Amino acid sequence: MQAQRTWGQYFKGWLDWLRSLFFKREMELSLVGLNKGGKSTLVQVLTTGTFTEDMIPTVGFNMRKLTKGGVTIKMWDLGGQQRFRSLWERYCRGVQAIVFVVDSADADSVPSAARELHSLLEKPSLKGIPLLVLGNKNDLPGAMGVPQLTAAMNLRALPDREVAVYSISCKNHSNIDRTLEWLTKHAKS
Amino acid sequence: MAATAQDSQAPLRGPEKKDEDREDETEFSPFYGIDKGAVLQEARVFNDPQIDPRRCQQVITKLLYLLNQGEVFTKKEAAEVFFGVTKLFQKQDINLRRMMYLCIKDICPGADEVIIVTSSLMKDMNSKVDLFRSNSVRVLCKIIDGQLLAQIERYLKQAIVDKSPVVASAALVSASHLLGNNAEIVKRWINEVQEAAQNKNNMVQFHAVALLHALRASDRLAISKLVTSLTKASVKSPLAQCLLVRYVAQVIQDSQPGANGEQRPFYDFLESCLRHKAEVVIFEAARAICNLRDVTARELTPAITVLQLFLSSSKPVLRFAAVRTLNKVAMTHPLAVTHCNIDMETLISDQNRSIATLAITTLLKTGNESSVEKLLKQIGSFMSDIADDFKIVVVEAIRSLCLKFPTKQRALMNFLSGVLREEGGFEYKKAIVQSILVLIQEIPDAKETGLGHLCEFIEDCEFTYLSTQVLHLLGQEGPKTKEPSKYIRYIYNRIILENATVRAAAVSALANFGAACEPLRPRIIVLLRRALADNDDEVRDRATLHLQQLEGKAGGPDAVQPRLDVNITAMEKALSDYLAGPTDKPFDISVVPKAPPPVRASGSSALGLATSTATNSSGGAAPTSAARKDPTAEYAELLRSIPQLAPLGEVFKSCEPVALTEKDTEYSVFCVKHVYEGHVVFQFNCTNTIAEQVLEDVSVAMDLAEASDFEEAFTVPLDQMPLNGVGQCFTVVTRQPGAIATGKIVNILKFKVKEIDPSTGEAEEEGYEDEYVLEDLEVSPADYVKPTLLGNFRKAWEELDPATEKEDEYGLGTREGLQEAVEAVIGILGMQPCEGSEAVPPNARSHTVLLAGIFVGYQQVLVRMSFGIDATNNVAMKLVVRAESIELSEAIHSIIQDA
Repeated sequence: MQAQRTWGQYFKGWLDWLRSLFFKREMELSLVGLNKGGKSTLVQVLTTGTFTEDMIPTVGFNMRKLTKGGVTIKMWDLGGQQRFRSLWERYCRGVQAIVFVVDSADADSVPSAARELHSLLEKPSLKGIPLLVLGNKNDLPGAMGVPQLTAAMNLRALPDREVAVYSISCKNHSNIDRTLEWLTKHAKS
Repeated sequence: MAATAQDSQAPLRGPEKKDEDREDETEFSPFYGIDKGAVLQEARVFNDPQIDPRRCQQVITKLLYLLNQGEVFTKKEAAEVFFGVTKLFQKQDINLRRMMYLCIKDICPGADEVIIVTSSLMKDMNSKVDLFRSNSVRVLCKIIDGQLLAQIERYLKQAIVDKSPVVASAALVSASHLLGNNAEIVKRWINEVQEAAQNKNNMVQFHAVALLHALRASDRLAISKLVTSLTKASVKSPLAQCLLVRYVAQVIQDSQPGANGEQRPFYDFLESCLRHKAEVVIFEAARAICNLRDVTARELTPAITVLQLFLSSSKPVLRFAAVRTLNKVAMTHPLAVTHCNIDMETLISDQNRSIATLAITTLLKTGNESSVEKLLKQIGSFMSDIADDFKIVVVEAIRSLCLKFPTKQRALMNFLSGVLREEGGFEYKKAIVQSILVLIQEIPDAKETGLGHLCEFIEDCEFTYLSTQVLHLLGQEGPKTKEPSKYIRYIYNRIILENATVRAAAVSALANFGAACEPLRPRIIVLLRRALADNDDEVRDRATLHLQQLEGKAGGPDAVQPRLDVNITAMEKALSDYLAGPTDKPFDISVVPKAPPPVRASGSSALGLATSTATNSSGGAAPTSAARKDPTAEYAELLRSIPQLAPLGEVFKSCEPVALTEKDTEYSVFCVKHVYEGHVVFQFNCTNTIAEQVLEDVSVAMDLAEASDFEEAFTVPLDQMPLNGVGQCFTVVTRQPGAIATGKIVNILKFKVKEIDPSTGEAEEEGYEDEYVLEDLEVSPADYVKPTLLGNFRKAWEELDPATEKEDEYGLGTREGLQEAVEAVIGILGMQPCEGSEAVPPNARSHTVLLAGIFVGYQQVLVRMSFGIDATNNVAMKLVVRAESIELSEAIHSIIQDA
């Protein structure tokens, strides 16, 4: 009996693997944005489902993988400090989506975030890559909503590119599911 | 590209491989001939969405291969590769990750780019995989800066005491590297490092001991403490034990040698290491003992015994290590090594030629007279198999053996001439020729055979330098032999067969024979005539000149080899001065100071071609390291040649020249003080630097107001101050005979100026008197004392009256080190250091110097100086003087006080 069950498990695992060969979908995305925007926290929430308050600043990048609904998502979580911003472009080349995280509760930082975003997307190598802007920390008082953020970051001015804006909160897990939905939709098969 | 590929294979070849072996091994590297451009193209796989770890590993290997072959990547290429590699962090493949670490470390992009991997490395540093932890620590420590280091310090401390030895070792090695720039942070980890030093793993212990030592490297006391504690603790790792032996040797080296008979500290420890299980430790300890400063025969014995065992080991590396160490010991303690002679003799036929050579040369050093011939036969059998470097070692050993046993010179000389005929490079041939030259000089019996061998040699010598040297020597020595005529043929052959330089040397050598041997002269003249048609100017010129001389013109035969009795250095200076100025007047050799007849330097070992050919240089009488150069002899001849000065008697001491004018003034004047029994003669070396005027009747007037012990006696004026040459005028003062008169003298240069008419170039008839104030001149007690060699300082010291002893202490301020302070004080006193006490042992904190000198009137004075240096390099000195009178003792102190 014992052996039979093991064989059964084997078979099931093999079937899963076979299925994944045919139906596997993959995507690769880069998370960018100013420091303290909540990129690493978002990755944490997406991969483990838990929210951690005190993350250490990312020195360089972190690479995380996530499998959700038959889609494997590779995430390049890039450091937001000044010295890394010039290196973002190298990790955004060839990805299926660029995710730009903004601290929507910190209105002072939004103009410079907009500046960094626009100068990044000017690069010819990133032409046409879909952009998802996430206004994080909407649980905090005075957080900007989607329309304000769109205006403040002048997102309508971005040409020839699919742009989506969501207001999310990693802390309250609000709109995280919608974000995932958007991401899986953009996976290539 | 093809060219680089060719070059890139060169370093992989074993140096000793014979050509035929090489044929089979051309295809040794799978990467032979890979092209940088193509590999960079391949490196694009790093950016593929689907990573193939195997393929990526291969590409990284190729990249590393290129890097290690010296291929240079541009900044852009390096950045491209680097960022490509960082993309591979998405794979968790252990082998691939290891290649990535290597690549990141080696490719080394700019500091602002490499920082991008920090976060990923920090993640790996906390991974569960040992290899990830260890390698990420190594890479991280390579790219990190001080600020970031402080952030991850905690993890590194943890890694040092990690259970996994690879991780602990990686952290320790990284800490050693970090020590350079971040010593403060690393010093905080000392507890962890100490714990790691107790680690059971050999490698970890080795690295921990090395780091412990490095952490204390600047503090001698701490090192000593560390070594003491480690020698008591159980250091199990053989490599760590080797390190410990080295540290112990350093501590012994730094410590003061104990009093006679007292055992060195730690000697017991070294001896116990001779009984260690591991051969590497035994050898390290034996070597340390052999290298001890002033090692005694008793201390050497146990070390020599274990090395002797190694000599018959089956491992070539042990045999080599042992024979090499014994070879060194044989230089200083030949007797201690003689026990090993039997084992050493079997090594002569060792397959490994390096071992055989070292064995032979050791035997040559320790062997006795009867074994010389046997050894020579054995050496001859393998001489052709070894490299030139080793051949030179053998030749030098033969030379010293020949000097040791002059009766064996025939056999040894034959051997040298035999090897001289074989193939060999310039350095090797030069060593042989030099050895023969030394032997000719040192052993009179060897002269004729030696010259004969050299004659044979130049018949077929491809080195111009050696040919000319030999020809010169033949010209010098050949005429003095019993049968000069037999050398003529060899020399004349050179005129027919060789290049111009050698031909010219041969012409001169022939002329020497003609000049020195009357009977040969007509035949030499015939031979020299043939050289008149030579197509080289120098050869023709020499032949013409020497022919004239041999026929009695142009100074006659004696002029063929002119003996310049001038000081060569002064001559060179005078000539370059002459060439620097306008050269319409002929050079006047009489202005050059005369040199004493050449003194042949004793001390044979240093004698080479240079000293044997430089006949007239007074510098050729090479001062041995102990004897201070004495300028007095150089001037004595000159002073004697001046009639007015001759009656003053013998000069006691001549001082170093002192400049009395600034640089680049119209006149340059140097003063040399000559101290006589009752007089002081001031010699002024004057040079006129202005072509538009003639200075005549030059003398120096002295104002002795501040030097009342002197009285001006007379002056010897200079008729004309030479233009850009040196002319001397003298001013003589008297003082109490034997007195130490001191004071400051004001000098005024007096002369008559005659302008030169630019239209005619003639000097005016009428001149005018003028004077020029020179710098003041100080006469100090130091001028009256000169160095003297003393056999037994202690005896001489006790013979002097203790009542004349005078003692005082002086602070010398901050100095570079004790040696520098000692040299400075000796320089000021101008006395002779005795018993080698002028050499300060390395790292000594205190030192005593003994000096001997004589004062004018031949009164002895002895000085004992004790120096001490503190941590901030402040030097203090205690000076004790004994002399024949208390006044002299005081005079010595006043020299130091004034300095």
